[in-house]
Amino acid sequence: MAELLLTAQTGRPLGTRSSRRLRREGHVPGVVYGLGQDPVAVTVPWPELRRVLTTEAGLNALITIDVDGDKQLSIVKEMQRHAVKRDVTHIDFLRVDPNEEIQIDVPIVLEGEAKEVENEDGMVDQTLFTLAVYAKPNAIPSELTVDISELTIGEAIRVSDIVMPEGSRTEVDEEEAVAIGTVTRSTLEAMAAEDAAEAAALEGEEGEGEGGEEGDGGGDSDDDGGDDAGGDE
Amino acid sequence: MLMPRKVAHRKHHRGRLRGNAKGGTEVTFGDYGLQAIEPGWITARQIEAARIAMTRHIKRGGKVWINVFPDKPVTEKPAETRMGSGKGNPERWVAVVRPGRVLFELSFYDEEVAREAIDRAIQKLPIKARFVKRDEGF
Repeated sequence: MAELLLTAQTGRPLGTRSSRRLRREGHVPGVVYGLGQDPVAVTVPWPELRRVLTTEAGLNALITIDVDGDKQLSIVKEMQRHAVKRDVTHIDFLRVDPNEEIQIDVPIVLEGEAKEVENEDGMVDQTLFTLAVYAKPNAIPSELTVDISELTIGEAIRVSDIVMPEGSRTEVDEEEAVAIGTVTRSTLEAMAAEDAAEAAALEGEEGEGEGGEEGDGGGDSDDDGGDDAGGDE
Repeated sequence: MLMPRKVAHRKHHRGRLRGNAKGGTEVTFGDYGLQAIEPGWITARQIEAARIAMTRHIKRGGKVWINVFPDKPVTEKPAETRMGSGKGNPERWVAVVRPGRVLFELSFYDEEVAREAIDRAIQKLPIKARFVKRDEGF
């Protein structure tokens, strides 16, 4: 993996107004901390930040941050975003030691199609989206893939089913579910409503068979009943 | 419809709607979300209408989360009443929504169907809103 170099400027003025001014000029205010050293308030140019965080390594990229000529290995610890515009408003860099394990959240990606679940009108309910992984900075996986093609209704894929890449481990409970094959309440309700509508339609047909005008009246009332049932959902 | 079981105070002040949402701005449970981009009061009826619009469209095999709760009572004076004689009666419940707030989340295997379901739910709301996806990557 190529080294990702990011140049940060120090000595930025602190506070809301000056930070807003920086953002308007295309910079992102941030802070570098960790390894027992003092925290340093920095500012990084937005296009450069975007470049280093859109590589294959994703948000867990190992970044060499150049703080006034002092190159430090770091990762992104936290990123604050604007609620509506989604712009990055502040970023935290954590200094890391290349020989020491760190804990980092790695995204879990589901792979494949759970055909059995889909055939039974169920859904794959992902309950765990990231996994806390311990690894040396050079061995941080960009994502963990989990195959869900064998998943069935009522079954779960657990943390123990995740194949951890070499050099990384997790301390999360092995029995914790990552994804569950389930039939949701709304699906059950929809199925019950459909069954009720079918039963009502059958009754209506029987009514039509008995007599002409009475049968038509029965059909109309069945339609109304169907709408009401829908409204109760 | 959603409403609190019991409350400390039956009648609230109206309050002011300023600024953006401070939390609940990310899609947390599902894959897709409905995000407000305008401030407003969403009534329990509107929440229910939006939920029904979504569940009817996805039919089977999906899940819907409601992330807001209408816990603010809104009072009204009866029609043709003279002013005075105190505050009106609680008539409905609303959720106070600021821009950025994710109101609903949806999990479904087909993105196009999910997008259409959320577009239908947006039609039931009194504010501008948009379809958002779970943040993955930058």
